[in-house]
Amino acid sequence: MDVDQTGPEVAARKHAESIHPSGVVRLRATGIHKRFGRRQVLHDVDLTVRAGEIVAVVGANGCGKSTLLKICAGLMSPTEGTVTVNGRLSYCPQQAGLMGFLTAEEHFALFGAGCGLDRETARSRGRELAASLAWDTGMGIQARHLSGGTQQKLNLVLAVLSNPDVLLLDEPYQGFDRGSYVDFWDWLQRSRQAGKAIVVITHMLNSRDQVDGVLDLGDAKADRDS
Amino acid sequence: MTKLLTVTEMMCRDLARRRAALGLLAILPLLFYLARHDSQPEKAIRFAGLGLAWAVSTAGLFTSNTTKSVESRLRQIGFQIHHLYLGTLTALLALGTLLGAAYFTLIAVDQNLQRPWGVALEFILTILVAAPLGLLISAVAPRDLEGTLILIALTALQFLVDPAQRAAKLLPFWSTREIGIYAVEAGAIEYLRNGLIHAAIFIAALLAATVSLSALRLRRRAHLRLQQTPA
Repeated sequence: MDVDQTGPEVAARKHAESIHPSGVVRLRATGIHKRFGRRQVLHDVDLTVRAGEIVAVVGANGCGKSTLLKICAGLMSPTEGTVTVNGRLSYCPQQAGLMGFLTAEEHFALFGAGCGLDRETARSRGRELAASLAWDTGMGIQARHLSGGTQQKLNLVLAVLSNPDVLLLDEPYQGFDRGSYVDFWDWLQRSRQAGKAIVVITHMLNSRDQVDGVLDLGDAKADRDS
Repeated sequence: MTKLLTVTEMMCRDLARRRAALGLLAILPLLFYLARHDSQPEKAIRFAGLGLAWAVSTAGLFTSNTTKSVESRLRQIGFQIHHLYLGTLTALLALGTLLGAAYFTLIAVDQNLQRPWGVALEFILTILVAAPLGLLISAVAPRDLEGTLILIALTALQFLVDPAQRAAKLLPFWSTREIGIYAVEAGAIEYLRNGLIHAAIFIAALLAATVSLSALRLRRRAHLRLQQTPA
């Protein structure tokens, strides 16, 4: 597996401005293999992310980026390997995992209840997080009536509502306009400065200089079929 | 308790806003009832019960299918499996109770019932079987089309199989017919007893199966080790 030419530990490639170079290890995935039937999707993947770091996962379509994140999130079992998470973990899926007939405010209340927030606190925090992504209207509109980009913002807000230590983001900016995309990366930088450990799947090569490490899963899985 | 109530409330809100689907589901028992209303009014009540069963199971199937991706996220952020399962089930039972109460009132006004509490019992047990049945079908056939076909097949069999056959007892709503005979046709107490036993077995089996499958789907994976060390 190619890991940005630095060996198995992605975090070895540090960004010059990383402010927590020796932060506590928040996520460590070791020896991850994943096979679907006869098809090998992930082969011996290692990933380490520390507090205050952003690691980008890149690679061609079908190379296993989303599979790796689902394994790290505990939503899918690997064929082999372990994942150790130190702290509260949250996962933001590629396609918004929302309840279409509920409003954004109701989503805040529902997800907030899961992490022990009372309704008012959850709504207040949800609105605050939404505002940080330049979204401040339409909180009473059912999710199915929101635009694709706004649904993704809601998706993202729900992922961070619990104030997680480890954040796994599977291309969370799909449908964002240019301004929202810039806001998203600014928001990621602020989260990094707040000590979050972040893994983000991205196809945007220009975002690589904003991260502390890159995990390149390479070509499509067909290349690794054996 | 707050978590369970919140899930239940949101599932109820989600269900209540599906107005077009709910409207269609709500008239299903009426159509079944009207189909035999003039020729065999006593059978019309049992048909209304089966229509009610179909409506609640269908609501369970589609609700479960559309909330699966959310459930895995909710599980991850702190909900327990029983919060999610019971919250969904309670919302379905609430829907079924509303529908059942409406149709019971309609039938009680429309017909001279000898044992109205028997009809009420028939509807209650039908709803209690139908809700976990819809969730079970969603668990074993996660795509809408396959799930719908299974539900149609089950309902069709319920109408087509001779209730006197032993195989008929394997169908989930055999109890509806038995209790219906007791309630509407002044049947012997055996009909009530058989119906109660059948319904109890099916409710227990369906709950056990759906809880097990939910627990399997939403389980914490063995490869994931969680620690809590301050930064």
